[in-house]
Amino acid sequence: MRLTADLEIVDGLPVMHIRSLGALACADLHLGYEGVMASRGGFIPKINLKRIKETLGIAARKTGARSIIVDGDIKNEFSEVHAEEFNEFRELMHFLKEELRMKGLFLVKGNHDNFVDRLRQALGFELYRQEAEIGDYVFFHGEELPESKAKKTFVMGHLHPAIAVYNKVGVKEKLPCFLSGKMSDGREIVVLPAMNSFAGGVEVNRDDPSDIAPVFSKMLDVNGMRAYCFGEGETYDFGKVGQLRHV
Amino acid sequence: MGVSLTIQRWEKPFGREESLSSLNFYIKDWFLKHYKEPTPPQLYSFKLIREHRNLLITAPTGSGKTFSAFMSILSELMDMAEAGSLEDKVYCVYISPLKALNNDIYRNLNKPLDDIYSKLGASVPRISVGIRTGDTTQQERQKMLRKPPNILVTTPESLAILLNSERFMENMKSVRYVVIDEMHELANNKRGVHLSLSLERLGALIGTDFLRVGLGATLHPLELAARFLVGYRNGTEERDCYIIDATWDKRMEYKTLCPVPDIVNATDRRIDTAIYATLDRIIKRNRTTLIFTNTRSGTERVVYNLRRRFKYGEEHIAAHHGSLSREARLDVEELLKRGKLKCVVSSTSLELGIDIGSIDNVVQLGSPKSVTRAIQRIGRSGHSFQDVATGEIVAINRDDLVECAVMLGAARDRRLDSFSVPTNALDVLAQHIVGMALTKKWKVDEAFGLVRQAYPYHNLDRKDFVMLIEYLSGSYVGLESRRVYGKIWYDANEDAFGRRGKLTKLIYYLNLGTIPDEVSVGVYEPNGRRIGSIQEEFLSRLKPGDIFVLGGRLYRFDHSREMRAYVNRAESKTPTIPPWYSETLPLSYELALEIGRFRRELADALAERVGGAKGIAKTIGKKAIEPGSEAERILDALPADANTKNSILQYFEEQLLFAKRVPNDRLLLIEKTADKEKERLYLIFHCLYGRRANDVLSRLFALELSDAFNADIGIFVNDNGFVLTLDSGIGIGKDDLEKLVASVASSDAQRIIRRNIRRSEMMKRRFRHVAVRSFMVLRNYKGRQISIKRQQINSETLLSAAEEISPDFPVLKETYREIMEDVMDMQRAKEILRKLREGEIKHDIIETPMPSPFSHTLITFGEADVVMMKDRRRHLRELHKHVLEQIRKRYA
Repeated sequence: MRLTADLEIVDGLPVMHIRSLGALACADLHLGYEGVMASRGGFIPKINLKRIKETLGIAARKTGARSIIVDGDIKNEFSEVHAEEFNEFRELMHFLKEELRMKGLFLVKGNHDNFVDRLRQALGFELYRQEAEIGDYVFFHGEELPESKAKKTFVMGHLHPAIAVYNKVGVKEKLPCFLSGKMSDGREIVVLPAMNSFAGGVEVNRDDPSDIAPVFSKMLDVNGMRAYCFGEGETYDFGKVGQLRHV
Repeated sequence: MGVSLTIQRWEKPFGREESLSSLNFYIKDWFLKHYKEPTPPQLYSFKLIREHRNLLITAPTGSGKTFSAFMSILSELMDMAEAGSLEDKVYCVYISPLKALNNDIYRNLNKPLDDIYSKLGASVPRISVGIRTGDTTQQERQKMLRKPPNILVTTPESLAILLNSERFMENMKSVRYVVIDEMHELANNKRGVHLSLSLERLGALIGTDFLRVGLGATLHPLELAARFLVGYRNGTEERDCYIIDATWDKRMEYKTLCPVPDIVNATDRRIDTAIYATLDRIIKRNRTTLIFTNTRSGTERVVYNLRRRFKYGEEHIAAHHGSLSREARLDVEELLKRGKLKCVVSSTSLELGIDIGSIDNVVQLGSPKSVTRAIQRIGRSGHSFQDVATGEIVAINRDDLVECAVMLGAARDRRLDSFSVPTNALDVLAQHIVGMALTKKWKVDEAFGLVRQAYPYHNLDRKDFVMLIEYLSGSYVGLESRRVYGKIWYDANEDAFGRRGKLTKLIYYLNLGTIPDEVSVGVYEPNGRRIGSIQEEFLSRLKPGDIFVLGGRLYRFDHSREMRAYVNRAESKTPTIPPWYSETLPLSYELALEIGRFRRELADALAERVGGAKGIAKTIGKKAIEPGSEAERILDALPADANTKNSILQYFEEQLLFAKRVPNDRLLLIEKTADKEKERLYLIFHCLYGRRANDVLSRLFALELSDAFNADIGIFVNDNGFVLTLDSGIGIGKDDLEKLVASVASSDAQRIIRRNIRRSEMMKRRFRHVAVRSFMVLRNYKGRQISIKRQQINSETLLSAAEEISPDFPVLKETYREIMEDVMDMQRAKEILRKLREGEIKHDIIETPMPSPFSHTLITFGEADVVMMKDRRRHLRELHKHVLEQIRKRYA
């Protein structure tokens, strides 16, 4: 589904395609999540990396994109350098380069991405500390306000946005979504959904707007943004978040 | 199965002298001073326990049940003390499911000891009693380790922890007696299954069999309870056990009350008002009244209303349930004991034998759902064994009325409903395998043999056992991650398993147990003040704007975020959302059939009366029943007041007039109708087979329907039937329904449910609980509750990840087992389908302009579920379309 002439959601997937950059954009992969949980004693079967690889594989084939921008939280833990994360991170980088033949790998650091600096040279990717201006876009993870004053389209992750709606038989369903709209200063902004399917989403149409993204409460009118949900190979425009508060 | 020689009822009590002579001199002396006469169960138990026989004793409250076990045990310990052979070791372990009860027992055991030793002085070593629960402080535990008590009072969970304390187990090697109290609260659930394995582990650790005494209110069948209590010796040989049944030795008087003369035509408001007026009358008439409700939220509502309507103060009426803090509960118990409270309202917490002093009268609000439970609860009144227990069941709706009246009829005729023991539960076993691995290196066969000594695992498949070991040792993940995933060590070649790593012991301690299953969610006001908590599942039903009761006040739900619910104080006087019904227990199959038979007999007796006369509508329920008629005989046989009988008559006559039929045990009535707004189509299945069988039937019909019409189907199940809700756009004719019945009747229920239950919400919910019990998802990590945000893993993703590992992945397998065996009653459902096929049960399809009188409660109270259509893509499309339509309607 096309959001602008240059931006489209790769149908059915939590991935965006940016034509002018020939790039895919995604966020919040939280690699190593299962291993970290296991090291604390749980047993979360490994499935995240496998699904991410499948998803990116389909997206790359469909769009022919040769670059990828990961908009933060590529790995899971805040502080510890975890072997499980390290292994999965490396495996994904190799997969992107060797199997999907990606030329450009751009990582924007998120609040969970501490050790990736050290791997930059060995694995050959571009790393941005807070935000990255690439073409007509400013990519930033989203736990802090972007600094750029450029009149460009902003792309963020971090929120794990989802909408919750009641179906015909009265059961609540939660659907992860993209959000698209304008900031208070008129600049365009897109929020990417989380790639990690273990993560619970934030119900943007149920929660208080000031709770959803406290740092942005002045800049971002969540109610005015449109929600796009995806699944089973299709993408659906659910309209404005504000209007979804009562359904 | 032939007659068991090992499990036997002991029918004849011993004489008074013979019983008393088996007690130690000092104990006998004390007993006679305080009690004079042994109670009926004691006339069996004193001697049998002294002869070291395993015993199961069932008797009502006030029958001296606890002392029936302990007088003999204290006698033996006293003999040892006098002979100088009593050491600082544990000789007896007492286990009850409730910490509060443990505190009582601790006091009750020390009382005779204090009296006796005040005379004896220090010449004889003192028999010591110690208490060990989750509340026991670290300091007390250390003390207990240095000087272990002779009698250890504990809970199933604390016992399981002790089994892994090597140092403490040294003191347990001398255990001769294990007393399990409140058997009826344990034998039918996973908590009891957990305990059964702990007992076998205890036996293995101390290297000898101990005497087992089970105490409980009534249970049926008692033989099953006895088997559960004693298990097997050497893996195969059933241990001996005598059964003492004193269930019926306390006299009881009870009645069903209907709050209004005609419950069918009274408004909800009127019924509500009358219910509270009835309760108020009963409270005023008695010194102390104990009111049981079926849910915690029900308890809250009753306290709130009694205080508001009749100006009772907090000093007159109090609530007592599991969601209250420990202090709050202890306060209430203390007030009761001192006779200060007029009335206490409880859900289940006071059902057990906590000492609450003397209660004159028990009121059960709404059906207790089982004959056995009705007797247990009413038996709480009348303090001593000689007193008559008195109680009333106040029915809250029309179906309740019939149910309660028939139930008390069955109680009068001593027909009890049966319980069942969950068997081969893999999640509980997983916890014990971890616990066992921590103590030593096991050969797989040795461990397997031990596990099979517990009754619930006697038929466990070795393959399942090995699969669990593989899961716990991390064999299901790649070799490189096994170090991280494995909780235990396992070598397939050596066929042995054992401990691994330091973290496992902590995980075991912190996450052990089978309760609580539910995640509770904090409830907050906008200013951040915490009001209390509700269950996650209740939260998932709340829509913004719904009003509910909490802590006796009304709140309007606003939104939830990260497992916090935000609410505002509501000014309205009536809650809009019914309490959480899945808390209620299912009606037993036997009782459901009795109700079905009652319906058939009464409807037959009334048929001519309603069918014959013209203008009957005016006289319905008002025309007196012909004296001497069959209908009069049937109604008069009910232990119920005149309002009840009149309302039942009214209810049946209206149904006969409206639908010409009363659904019963031989007639499945299917009613097609719509709600007021005509938005949803209702298919109401009047099938009276109890919720567990209906759980199967409802899903079968929903699945067939979903596949036939490619639609999502909403389900509402209760004991008297189930309702399927569909989008009104779907056209279903009588022919379609006939086809549906034929196809379901000839279907392979087990296979269809197994294959498709995955499409229901129930599967996800149950899977989450099983995952927690199997240590797949942890509740606690390093002593901290795992923050809810981390714990709240998308269960759909987790479920599909487990499926990708293997369809036989133990956590998955246990989820299916629990649904198919514990939640559902597959055997009975299959039996019903056979009868439907062979015409023993007829079916009838009717279309009504509005739901018939017998549908009323079916569409208001039930446990909700949904079966999603197979086609996920279409499901999403329809959901999208539905949401856009809602928006268009609202914003057009």
